Amino acid sequence: MYLKLKKSYFDVLDRFTPFLIIMTIVSFIIGSYFALYGSPPDYIQGDSMRIMYVHVPSAWWALMSYSVLAVSCTIWFITRNPFFNLIAKSIAPIGAVFTLIALVTGSIWGKPTWGVWWVWDARLTSMLLLFFLYLAYIFLWQAISNKDLASKISAALAMIGFINVPIIKFSVDWWNTLHQPASISKLSSPSIDESMLIPLFIMAFASLCFLITMFSVRLRIEFIESRISRLRQKIYD
Amino acid sequence: MKPLYDLINRDLKIAFFTSSNFLFTASFFILIVVLIPFIFGSDSEQLRIIFKGIIWISISLSILLTLERIFYSDYEDGSLDLILQRYESLEIIICAKYIAHWVINCLPLIVILPFLSLLFQLTFSDIFPILINLVIGSMGMVFVATFVSALTLGAKRTIFLKGIILIPLLVPFIIFGVDPHSWPILIALSMMSFVISIYASAYGLRLYGE
Repeated sequence: MYLKLKKSYFDVLDRFTPFLIIMTIVSFIIGSYFALYGSPPDYIQGDSMRIMYVHVPSAWWALMSYSVLAVSCTIWFITRNPFFNLIAKSIAPIGAVFTLIALVTGSIWGKPTWGVWWVWDARLTSMLLLFFLYLAYIFLWQAISNKDLASKISAALAMIGFINVPIIKFSVDWWNTLHQPASISKLSSPSIDESMLIPLFIMAFASLCFLITMFSVRLRIEFIESRISRLRQKIYD
Repeated sequence: MKPLYDLINRDLKIAFFTSSNFLFTASFFILIVVLIPFIFGSDSEQLRIIFKGIIWISISLSILLTLERIFYSDYEDGSLDLILQRYESLEIIICAKYIAHWVINCLPLIVILPFLSLLFQLTFSDIFPILINLVIGSMGMVFVATFVSALTLGAKRTIFLKGIILIPLLVPFIIFGVDPHSWPILIALSMMSFVISIYASAYGLRLYGE
Protein backbone atom coordinates (compact mmCIF):
# COMPACT_ATOMS: atom_id res chain seq x y z
CA MET A 1 0.00 0.00 0.00
CA TYR A 2 1.58 3.26 -1.11
CA LEU A 3 0.86 6.71 0.12
CA LYS A 4 -1.11 8.58 -2.49
CA LEU A 5 -1.18 11.68 -0.32
CA LYS A 6 0.39 14.74 -1.84
CA LYS A 7 2.66 17.09 -0.03
CA SER A 8 0.52 20.03 -1.09
CA TYR A 9 -2.31 18.89 1.19
CA PHE A 10 -0.01 19.16 4.12
CA ASP A 11 1.37 22.51 3.01
CA VAL A 12 -2.16 23.85 3.38
CA LEU A 13 -2.07 22.65 6.98
CA ASP A 14 1.23 24.41 7.40
CA ARG A 15 -0.27 27.68 6.13
CA PHE A 16 -3.10 27.38 8.63
CA THR A 17 -0.82 26.75 11.59
CA PRO A 18 0.02 30.41 12.47
CA PHE A 19 -3.68 31.24 12.34
CA LEU A 20 -4.43 28.34 14.69
CA ILE A 21 -1.67 29.38 17.06
CA ILE A 22 -3.01 32.94 17.23
CA MET A 23 -6.53 31.64 17.83
CA THR A 24 -5.26 29.37 20.62
CA ILE A 25 -3.38 32.18 22.35
CA VAL A 26 -6.24 34.68 22.07
CA SER A 27 -8.88 32.25 23.31
CA PHE A 28 -6.61 31.16 26.15
CA ILE A 29 -6.12 34.77 27.24
CA ILE A 30 -9.86 35.53 27.09
CA GLY A 31 -10.70 32.20 28.74
CA SER A 32 -8.22 32.60 31.56
CA TYR A 33 -9.39 36.16 32.20
CA PHE A 34 -12.94 34.91 32.64
CA ALA A 35 -11.81 31.81 34.54
CA LEU A 36 -9.56 33.67 36.99
CA TYR A 37 -11.25 37.09 37.41
CA GLY A 38 -14.52 37.24 35.54
CA SER A 39 -16.30 34.38 37.28
CA PRO A 40 -17.35 34.10 40.91
CA PRO A 41 -15.65 31.55 43.21
CA ASP A 42 -17.66 28.51 44.17
CA TYR A 43 -19.46 29.02 47.48
CA ILE A 44 -18.42 25.62 48.83
CA GLN A 45 -15.06 24.98 47.22
CA GLY A 46 -13.84 28.57 46.89
CA ASP A 47 -11.12 29.38 44.43
CA SER A 48 -9.88 25.82 44.08
CA MET A 49 -12.89 25.22 41.86
CA ARG A 50 -11.12 27.19 39.13
CA ILE A 51 -9.04 24.12 38.36
CA MET A 52 -12.20 22.86 36.68
CA TYR A 53 -11.56 25.22 33.75
CA VAL A 54 -8.47 23.23 32.85
CA HIS A 55 -9.52 19.85 34.14
CA VAL A 56 -12.92 19.36 32.51
CA PRO A 57 -11.94 20.41 28.95
CA SER A 58 -8.87 18.20 28.99
CA ALA A 59 -10.95 15.25 30.16
CA TRP A 60 -13.45 15.90 27.37
CA TRP A 61 -10.81 16.14 24.67
CA ALA A 62 -8.96 13.12 26.03
CA LEU A 63 -12.07 11.01 25.55
CA MET A 64 -12.78 12.60 22.18
CA SER A 65 -9.25 11.90 20.99
CA TYR A 66 -9.64 8.22 21.77
CA SER A 67 -12.86 8.15 19.79
CA VAL A 68 -11.10 9.86 16.88
CA LEU A 69 -8.25 7.37 17.19
CA ALA A 70 -10.54 4.34 17.19
CA VAL A 71 -12.87 5.62 14.47
CA SER A 72 -10.01 6.52 12.16
CA CYS A 73 -8.45 3.11 12.80
CA THR A 74 -11.77 1.50 11.87
CA ILE A 75 -12.03 3.57 8.70
CA TRP A 76 -8.46 2.66 7.87
CA PHE A 77 -9.33 -0.97 8.41
CA ILE A 78 -12.17 -0.77 5.89
CA THR A 79 -10.73 1.52 3.25
CA ARG A 80 -6.96 1.02 3.77
CA ASN A 81 -6.51 4.70 3.06
CA PRO A 82 -3.19 5.63 4.73
CA PHE A 83 -4.44 9.09 5.62
CA PHE A 84 -6.58 7.69 8.46
CA ASN A 85 -3.60 5.82 9.78
CA LEU A 86 -1.69 9.10 9.96
CA ILE A 87 -4.59 10.69 11.82
CA ALA A 88 -4.63 7.90 14.38
CA LYS A 89 -0.89 7.91 14.81
CA SER A 90 -0.67 11.66 15.29
CA ILE A 91 -3.59 12.03 17.68
CA ALA A 92 -2.44 9.27 20.06
CA PRO A 93 0.31 11.20 21.94
CA ILE A 94 -1.88 14.32 22.14
CA GLY A 95 -4.72 12.30 23.65
CA ALA A 96 -2.32 10.68 26.09
CA VAL A 97 -1.06 14.08 27.21
CA PHE A 98 -4.61 15.38 27.65
CA THR A 99 -5.45 12.30 29.73
CA LEU A 100 -2.38 12.95 31.85
CA ILE A 101 -3.35 16.62 32.30
CA ALA A 102 -6.85 15.57 33.34
CA LEU A 103 -5.45 13.08 35.85
CA VAL A 104 -2.88 15.46 37.34
CA THR A 105 -5.20 18.47 37.60
CA GLY A 106 -7.89 16.19 38.96
CA SER A 107 -5.66 15.00 41.75
CA ILE A 108 -4.50 18.56 42.50
CA TRP A 109 -8.17 19.54 42.69
CA GLY A 110 -8.91 16.52 44.82
CA LYS A 111 -6.50 17.57 47.57
CA PRO A 112 -8.42 20.68 48.76
CA THR A 113 -11.84 19.26 47.89
CA TRP A 114 -11.72 15.70 49.15
CA GLY A 115 -8.66 16.03 51.38
CA VAL A 116 -6.75 13.37 49.49
CA TRP A 117 -4.74 13.33 46.29
CA TRP A 118 -6.45 10.29 44.88
CA VAL A 119 -9.56 8.25 45.54
CA TRP A 120 -10.32 4.99 43.81
CA ASP A 121 -13.32 6.55 42.23
CA ALA A 122 -14.84 5.04 39.10
CA ARG A 123 -14.01 7.99 36.88
CA LEU A 124 -10.45 8.36 38.05
CA THR A 125 -9.70 4.69 37.68
CA SER A 126 -11.14 4.42 34.21
CA MET A 127 -9.23 7.52 33.11
CA LEU A 128 -6.04 5.94 34.42
CA LEU A 129 -6.76 2.81 32.41
CA LEU A 130 -7.50 4.96 29.35
CA PHE A 131 -4.05 6.47 29.75
CA PHE A 132 -2.53 2.99 29.60
CA LEU A 133 -4.59 2.14 26.51
CA TYR A 134 -3.02 5.19 24.85
CA LEU A 135 0.45 4.15 26.01
CA ALA A 136 -0.03 0.64 24.66
CA TYR A 137 -0.96 2.07 21.26
CA ILE A 138 2.05 4.40 21.18
CA PHE A 139 4.54 1.79 22.41
CA LEU A 140 3.30 -0.78 19.92
CA TRP A 141 4.19 1.55 17.08
CA GLN A 142 7.70 1.86 18.44
CA ALA A 143 8.21 -1.82 19.19
CA ILE A 144 7.54 -3.10 15.68
CA SER A 145 10.19 -2.15 13.18
CA ASN A 146 8.14 -3.05 10.11
CA LYS A 147 5.84 -0.01 9.86
CA ASP A 148 3.35 -1.70 7.56
CA LEU A 149 2.85 -4.48 10.09
CA ALA A 150 2.82 -1.98 12.95
CA SER A 151 -0.04 -0.03 11.37
CA LYS A 152 -2.12 -3.19 10.94
CA ILE A 153 -1.55 -4.44 14.48
CA SER A 154 -1.99 -1.13 16.24
CA ALA A 155 -5.21 -0.47 14.31
CA ALA A 156 -6.61 -3.81 15.48
CA LEU A 157 -5.54 -3.04 19.03
CA ALA A 158 -7.13 0.42 18.98
CA MET A 159 -10.41 -1.09 17.81
CA ILE A 160 -10.34 -3.73 20.55
CA GLY A 161 -9.50 -1.02 23.05
CA PHE A 162 -12.49 0.97 21.87
CA ILE A 163 -14.75 -2.01 22.51
CA ASN A 164 -13.10 -2.36 25.86
CA VAL A 165 -13.48 1.25 27.04
CA PRO A 166 -17.23 0.93 27.80
CA ILE A 167 -16.65 -2.48 29.39
CA ILE A 168 -13.95 -1.05 31.64
CA LYS A 169 -16.15 1.92 32.45
CA PHE A 170 -19.11 -0.31 33.28
CA SER A 171 -17.12 -2.75 35.37
CA VAL A 172 -15.29 -0.02 37.27
CA ASP A 173 -18.61 1.71 38.00
CA TRP A 174 -20.00 -1.58 39.22
CA TRP A 175 -16.93 -2.25 41.35
CA ASN A 176 -17.13 1.23 42.79
CA THR A 177 -20.76 0.94 43.84
CA LEU A 178 -19.87 -2.37 45.40
CA HIS A 179 -16.99 -1.09 47.50
CA GLN A 180 -17.94 2.49 48.21
CA PRO A 181 -21.68 2.80 48.71
CA ALA A 182 -21.56 6.53 49.47
CA SER A 183 -19.20 7.74 46.79
CA ILE A 184 -18.00 11.30 46.96
CA SER A 185 -20.00 12.87 44.19
CA LYS A 186 -19.80 16.52 45.04
CA LEU A 187 -18.74 17.04 41.45
CA SER A 188 -21.88 15.86 39.78
CA SER A 189 -24.49 17.09 42.25
CA PRO A 190 -24.71 20.85 41.59
CA SER A 191 -25.70 21.99 38.15
CA ILE A 192 -23.24 24.59 36.95
CA ASP A 193 -24.27 28.22 36.95
CA GLU A 194 -24.14 30.20 33.73
CA SER A 195 -21.42 32.49 35.05
CA MET A 196 -19.15 29.46 35.31
CA LEU A 197 -20.41 27.72 32.21
CA ILE A 198 -19.34 30.46 29.82
CA PRO A 199 -15.66 30.51 30.92
CA LEU A 200 -15.73 26.73 30.85
CA PHE A 201 -16.84 26.75 27.23
CA ILE A 202 -14.26 29.39 26.29
CA MET A 203 -11.53 27.31 27.95
CA ALA A 204 -12.84 24.19 26.22
CA PHE A 205 -12.67 26.03 22.91
CA ALA A 206 -9.14 27.19 23.70
CA SER A 207 -7.97 23.68 24.51
CA LEU A 208 -9.66 22.39 21.37
CA CYS A 209 -7.74 24.98 19.36
CA PHE A 210 -4.56 23.87 21.08
CA LEU A 211 -5.38 20.25 20.27
CA ILE A 212 -6.03 21.05 16.61
CA THR A 213 -2.81 23.06 16.36
CA MET A 214 -0.74 20.25 17.82
CA PHE A 215 -2.62 17.76 15.69
CA SER A 216 -1.99 19.58 12.42
CA VAL A 217 1.69 19.97 13.24
CA ARG A 218 2.01 16.32 14.17
CA LEU A 219 0.05 15.21 11.11
CA ARG A 220 2.53 17.00 8.88
CA ILE A 221 5.48 15.50 10.79
CA GLU A 222 4.03 12.01 10.52
CA PHE A 223 3.48 12.48 6.81
CA ILE A 224 7.06 13.61 6.28
CA GLU A 225 8.36 10.75 8.42
CA SER A 226 6.39 8.16 6.49
CA ARG A 227 7.70 9.64 3.27
CA ILE A 228 11.28 9.51 4.57
CA SER A 229 10.95 5.90 5.64
CA ARG A 230 9.51 5.01 2.25
CA LEU A 231 12.37 6.70 0.45
CA ARG A 232 14.83 4.89 2.69
CA GLN A 233 13.12 1.64 1.84
CA LYS A 234 13.48 2.48 -1.86
CA ILE A 235 17.22 3.07 -1.45
CA TYR A 236 17.68 -0.30 0.23
CA ASP A 237 15.67 -2.02 -2.47
CA MET B 1 -12.15 -32.96 15.49
CA LYS B 2 -8.98 -34.84 14.60
CA PRO B 3 -6.83 -31.71 14.02
CA LEU B 4 -8.08 -30.18 17.27
CA TYR B 5 -7.17 -33.32 19.16
CA ASP B 6 -3.76 -33.52 17.45
CA LEU B 7 -2.86 -29.93 18.24
CA ILE B 8 -3.93 -30.19 21.88
CA ASN B 9 -2.03 -33.43 22.19
CA ARG B 10 1.09 -31.80 20.78
CA ASP B 11 0.95 -28.88 23.19
CA LEU B 12 0.31 -31.13 26.17
CA LYS B 13 3.24 -33.36 25.19
CA ILE B 14 5.53 -30.34 24.90
CA ALA B 15 4.36 -29.13 28.30
CA PHE B 16 4.84 -32.50 29.87
CA PHE B 17 8.15 -33.63 28.43
CA THR B 18 10.20 -30.46 27.94
CA SER B 19 11.66 -27.87 30.19
CA SER B 20 8.60 -25.62 29.90
CA ASN B 21 6.95 -27.85 32.42
CA PHE B 22 3.45 -27.16 33.65
CA LEU B 23 4.60 -27.65 37.22
CA PHE B 24 6.39 -24.31 36.97
CA THR B 25 3.24 -22.23 36.95
CA ALA B 26 1.81 -24.23 39.85
CA SER B 27 4.94 -23.77 41.93
CA PHE B 28 5.02 -20.10 41.00
CA PHE B 29 1.47 -19.81 42.31
CA ILE B 30 2.35 -21.54 45.57
CA LEU B 31 5.41 -19.34 46.08
CA ILE B 32 3.44 -16.12 45.56
CA VAL B 33 0.96 -17.36 48.16
CA VAL B 34 3.80 -18.26 50.52
CA LEU B 35 4.94 -14.64 50.37
CA ILE B 36 1.65 -13.35 51.79
CA PRO B 37 2.23 -14.13 55.50
CA PHE B 38 5.71 -12.60 55.32
CA ILE B 39 4.28 -9.36 53.99
CA PHE B 40 1.07 -9.02 55.97
CA GLY B 41 1.91 -10.82 59.20
CA SER B 42 0.44 -14.03 60.51
CA ASP B 43 -2.91 -12.68 61.69
CA SER B 44 -5.18 -15.37 60.30
CA GLU B 45 -8.31 -13.21 60.02
CA GLN B 46 -6.52 -10.64 57.87
CA LEU B 47 -4.76 -13.32 55.84
CA ARG B 48 -8.04 -14.92 54.93
CA ILE B 49 -9.25 -11.70 53.29
CA ILE B 50 -5.96 -11.07 51.53
CA PHE B 51 -5.71 -14.63 50.23
CA LYS B 52 -8.87 -14.22 48.17
CA GLY B 53 -7.34 -11.21 46.45
CA ILE B 54 -3.88 -12.66 46.00
CA ILE B 55 -5.37 -15.53 44.00
CA TRP B 56 -6.37 -13.07 41.28
CA ILE B 57 -3.05 -11.24 41.34
CA SER B 58 -1.13 -14.46 40.98
CA ILE B 59 -3.35 -15.85 38.24
CA SER B 60 -3.00 -12.66 36.19
CA LEU B 61 0.75 -12.71 36.77
CA SER B 62 1.02 -16.29 35.64
CA ILE B 63 -1.10 -15.49 32.57
CA LEU B 64 1.28 -12.63 31.84
CA LEU B 65 4.41 -14.71 32.34
CA THR B 66 3.20 -17.54 30.12
CA LEU B 67 2.06 -15.13 27.41
CA GLU B 68 5.13 -15.84 25.30
CA ARG B 69 4.40 -19.54 25.31
CA ILE B 70 1.07 -19.23 23.53
CA PHE B 71 2.32 -18.49 20.04
CA TYR B 72 5.72 -16.90 20.43
CA SER B 73 7.69 -20.05 21.32
CA ASP B 74 6.18 -21.83 18.32
CA TYR B 75 6.99 -18.80 16.20
CA GLU B 76 10.61 -18.79 17.34
CA ASP B 77 11.39 -22.42 16.70
CA GLY B 78 9.54 -22.33 13.38
CA SER B 79 6.87 -24.84 14.21
CA LEU B 80 4.16 -22.21 13.79
CA ASP B 81 5.00 -22.14 10.06
CA LEU B 82 4.46 -25.87 9.82
CA ILE B 83 1.24 -25.75 11.82
CA LEU B 84 -0.13 -22.98 9.62
CA GLN B 85 0.76 -24.98 6.49
CA ARG B 86 -0.55 -28.27 7.80
CA TYR B 87 -3.95 -27.12 9.09
CA GLU B 88 -6.31 -25.15 6.91
CA SER B 89 -8.49 -23.66 9.57
CA LEU B 90 -7.02 -20.97 11.78
CA GLU B 91 -9.96 -21.25 14.16
CA ILE B 92 -9.08 -24.86 14.97
CA ILE B 93 -5.49 -23.87 15.72
CA ILE B 94 -6.65 -21.05 17.98
CA CYS B 95 -9.23 -23.16 19.80
CA ALA B 96 -6.64 -25.86 20.38
CA LYS B 97 -4.35 -23.20 21.85
CA TYR B 98 -7.10 -22.02 24.18
CA ILE B 99 -7.76 -25.47 25.53
CA ALA B 100 -4.14 -26.54 25.77
CA HIS B 101 -2.97 -23.32 27.34
CA TRP B 102 -5.79 -23.34 29.86
CA VAL B 103 -5.15 -26.97 30.80
CA ILE B 104 -1.41 -26.41 31.15
CA ASN B 105 -1.35 -23.08 32.94
CA CYS B 106 -4.66 -22.54 34.70
CA LEU B 107 -5.95 -25.98 35.58
CA PRO B 108 -3.01 -26.78 37.95
CA LEU B 109 -3.72 -23.59 39.87
CA ILE B 110 -7.39 -24.44 40.18
CA VAL B 111 -6.58 -27.96 41.35
CA ILE B 112 -4.08 -26.69 43.91
CA LEU B 113 -6.28 -23.91 45.23
CA PRO B 114 -8.49 -25.97 47.60
CA PHE B 115 -5.39 -27.44 49.23
CA LEU B 116 -3.72 -24.05 49.51
CA SER B 117 -6.80 -22.58 51.11
CA LEU B 118 -6.43 -25.14 53.91
CA LEU B 119 -3.25 -23.29 54.90
CA PHE B 120 -5.37 -20.20 55.52
CA GLN B 121 -8.08 -21.99 57.51
CA LEU B 122 -10.62 -21.56 54.75
CA THR B 123 -13.22 -24.29 54.40
CA PHE B 124 -14.28 -25.74 51.08
CA SER B 125 -17.62 -23.91 51.24
CA ASP B 126 -15.71 -20.62 51.48
CA ILE B 127 -13.52 -21.41 48.54
CA PHE B 128 -16.11 -22.98 46.25
CA PRO B 129 -17.56 -19.68 44.82
CA ILE B 130 -14.06 -18.39 44.22
CA LEU B 131 -13.22 -21.63 42.46
CA ILE B 132 -16.16 -21.26 40.06
CA ASN B 133 -15.20 -17.66 39.33
CA LEU B 134 -11.62 -18.70 38.83
CA VAL B 135 -12.55 -21.37 36.28
CA ILE B 136 -14.69 -18.96 34.24
CA GLY B 137 -12.45 -15.95 34.69
CA SER B 138 -9.24 -17.75 33.81
CA MET B 139 -10.85 -18.99 30.59
CA GLY B 140 -11.70 -15.41 29.67
CA MET B 141 -8.19 -14.30 30.55
CA VAL B 142 -6.72 -17.02 28.33
CA PHE B 143 -8.89 -15.80 25.43
CA VAL B 144 -7.60 -12.26 25.92
CA ALA B 145 -3.99 -13.41 26.35
CA THR B 146 -4.18 -15.48 23.17
CA PHE B 147 -5.13 -12.59 20.93
CA VAL B 148 -2.61 -10.28 22.56
CA SER B 149 0.03 -12.93 21.92
CA ALA B 150 -1.10 -13.45 18.32
CA LEU B 151 -1.22 -9.73 17.56
CA THR B 152 2.20 -8.98 19.03
CA LEU B 153 3.99 -11.80 17.19
CA GLY B 154 5.77 -9.21 15.07
CA ALA B 155 7.05 -7.27 18.06
CA LYS B 156 10.39 -8.08 19.55
CA ARG B 157 10.71 -9.85 22.87
CA THR B 158 9.01 -7.17 24.90
CA ILE B 159 7.18 -8.72 27.81
CA PHE B 160 6.58 -5.32 29.39
CA LEU B 161 4.88 -3.96 26.29
CA LYS B 162 2.67 -7.02 26.22
CA GLY B 163 1.91 -6.45 29.88
CA ILE B 164 0.85 -2.86 29.21
CA ILE B 165 -1.43 -4.11 26.46
CA LEU B 166 -2.77 -7.07 28.42
CA ILE B 167 -3.42 -5.80 31.94
CA PRO B 168 -6.02 -3.08 31.12
CA LEU B 169 -7.89 -5.76 29.18
CA LEU B 170 -7.84 -8.07 32.22
CA VAL B 171 -9.29 -5.48 34.60
CA PRO B 172 -12.99 -6.36 33.99
CA PHE B 173 -12.32 -10.05 34.69
CA ILE B 174 -10.63 -9.26 37.97
CA ILE B 175 -13.36 -6.83 39.05
CA PHE B 176 -16.10 -9.36 38.47
CA GLY B 177 -13.93 -12.25 39.57
CA VAL B 178 -13.42 -11.13 43.15
CA ASP B 179 -17.16 -10.90 43.80
CA PRO B 180 -18.60 -14.40 44.35
CA HIS B 181 -22.09 -13.48 43.12
CA SER B 182 -21.14 -12.05 39.76
CA TRP B 183 -20.42 -15.26 37.87
CA PRO B 184 -23.18 -14.64 35.29
CA ILE B 185 -21.50 -11.37 34.24
CA LEU B 186 -18.18 -13.17 34.21
CA ILE B 187 -19.61 -15.79 31.84
CA ALA B 188 -20.96 -13.04 29.59
CA LEU B 189 -17.57 -11.31 29.56
CA SER B 190 -15.75 -14.53 28.77
CA MET B 191 -18.08 -15.34 25.90
CA MET B 192 -17.69 -11.83 24.52
CA SER B 193 -13.93 -12.04 24.71
CA PHE B 194 -14.10 -15.46 23.04
CA VAL B 195 -15.85 -13.95 20.02
CA ILE B 196 -13.45 -11.01 19.81
CA SER B 197 -10.46 -13.20 20.46
CA ILE B 198 -11.20 -15.68 17.66
CA TYR B 199 -11.29 -12.88 15.08
CA ALA B 200 -8.37 -10.94 16.51
CA SER B 201 -6.07 -13.96 16.85
CA ALA B 202 -6.94 -15.18 13.36
CA TYR B 203 -6.11 -11.70 12.09
CA GLY B 204 -2.80 -11.75 13.93
CA LEU B 205 -1.86 -15.18 12.62
CA ARG B 206 -2.87 -14.23 9.09
CA LEU B 207 -0.65 -11.14 9.29
CA TYR B 208 2.20 -13.34 10.36
CA GLY B 209 1.48 -15.84 7.58
CA GLU B 210 1.75 -13.16 4.89
